[in-house]
Parts: sequence; C-alpha cells; structure tokens
Amino acid sequence: MVDVFKSAVIDAPVEKVWALIRDFNGHDRWHPIVLDSHIEDGGPSDRVGCVRSFHVRGGAHIREELTALSDQDYSFSYRILEAEVGLLNYVAHMKLVPITEDGRTFLQWWSRFDTPPGEEETLKRMVEEDVYQAGIDAIRKAVGAGAG
Amino acid sequence: MANVFVSSVIDAPPEEVWKVIRDFNGLPSWHPLIAQSHIEDGKAADQVGCIRNFTLNDGERIRERLLTLSDVEFTCTYEILESPMGVENYVATLRLVPITDGDRCYIEWTAEFDAPEGEEEALEDHIGGTVFQGGFDALKKRFAA
Repeated sequence: MVDVFKSAVIDAPVEKVWALIRDFNGHDRWHPIVLDSHIEDGGPSDRVGCVRSFHVRGGAHIREELTALSDQDYSFSYRILEAEVGLLNYVAHMKLVPITEDGRTFLQWWSRFDTPPGEEETLKRMVEEDVYQAGIDAIRKAVGAGAG
Repeated sequence: MANVFVSSVIDAPPEEVWKVIRDFNGLPSWHPLIAQSHIEDGKAADQVGCIRNFTLNDGERIRERLLTLSDVEFTCTYEILESPMGVENYVATLRLVPITDGDRCYIEWTAEFDAPEGEEEALEDHIGGTVFQGGFDALKKRFAA
C-alpha cells in the first residue's frame, strides 16, 4: 500500500482554481502529461460515475471514474478503472480550501494505491512528481498565479 | 447556528507549530489575549476530557474541555463550558495540514455555536478576527524566518 500526499498554496481565489479543476474532462487543457481526454458515452463531466478516458505522454491509456464531486467542499474523488501502468486499487482525491487571511487557496491532492512488487518507490515518485507536483505547477500557470 | 472559519499559512513545518499549539494549557505562551491558564483537577494537558481554566487580559474567565487531540492529524477540538460571551453549544477545532510544496503549514481554526438573538454576527467577527486571526498573527510572528 502506497500513500501519496501533495499540497500547495495557489495564489488565486478558491473559486477560480475550482472553476479550472472541477471539469473532470478538462485536465488535457492544463496538465502537461495529459495528451487528450474524453468522457465515455458523451455524458457531462460533472456526472458522478462518469469515466474519463485519456492518454498520457509516452502513450499509456488510462480510464478513471469520478466517484465524488462537491461544489460545497471544492473537492472530487476518482479511481482508476484501467491503466497501462502498475497503479492498482488507486483512489485519489483533490480538495481546495480558502485561505481566509489573504484570499489564496490551499490545494491538497492525495491517493492510496497498490503496485506490483518492487515498483512501490518508482510509482510513488512518478505519482508525486510527474502527476501531482507537475499538475500543481500547471494549475498555478493556468490560473495566472506565481509561485505560491 | 453561527459559524467561524479562519485559515492562514505559517512559515514553519507542521511538527514545529504543533509543538506549540498541542499544549492545551499553553495558550498564555503564544496567544496574546490570554493571561494565565491552568488545567483543573491536576490532569495532564493532553488528557482528553481535561478542562483548561484561563483568564483573559481583561480578567474574564473561560473554561474549555478538550474533546479531541490527534498527533497524527495535528488536530485539537474543544468545547466551551463557561465564558462571558454568552455562546452555547460552542465547539471549535484548530488544525494543521502540511504544505509539501515549501515545508510550511496550513492552519485552520473553526467554530460552531449558538449565539443570543442579534449577537451572532458580532460574535463571529470577534471570535474569527480577534481570537482566531489574532492567534495566527502571533504564531506567524513567532515563526517568522
């Protein structure tokens, strides 16, 4: 069992960051490793239970299901249904909280998963750095925020 | 039901900030409004259920009971038993979350309570601004680089 937790301050109001990340099908517009994405069956990307199907740089195909979405808590959860990488029983969450003191946003992104034996460290590092930290840096850029 | 939610960023790792705020009897050492404090009945300050009995700078007295203390979640929850503010069913939580991007921490202080008719907003402002944000300002100064 591997746990990953990444968090950061984004120099933008929570509503602005939420408007970007709320779209479960929108990650190909801001995340540098996501090449293309579509919602299967053509449904809306805010229907809990919808599945996004996408390719990441390097060519791997991944299918993820939206398992929770909350406009109240600025949070969503998803799980991997199928991936051409060794992320097993992968469940992830992203959540925003307003920083009331100065109007910025505190972002948390975390997950838990299993891996094939011996691949824990490599895959943990990949998720932490190539997916979450790179995603956080890209979110900053997309909302026009400097280094928080 | 009145609600207070105040959050900030402290420029220090959560473990360091937690050492300060974990002490349920330690308010006078970091919060500028609190003059003195003791734990009733000789209990330890990290004994869940203990009661802190403290005095504000203006002499008013408040008694609060520790409901939750988590070293894993960096969380402290307590309820007010007696205070001059006229609040009822007051439960507050002080919580830290690590900020991995920068080795700092997010701090959040929330409260829910019932207020006397017409005093809800004034109490929310006082608790959120003077008490909670005032505490954050003191912690930020203490941990300033």
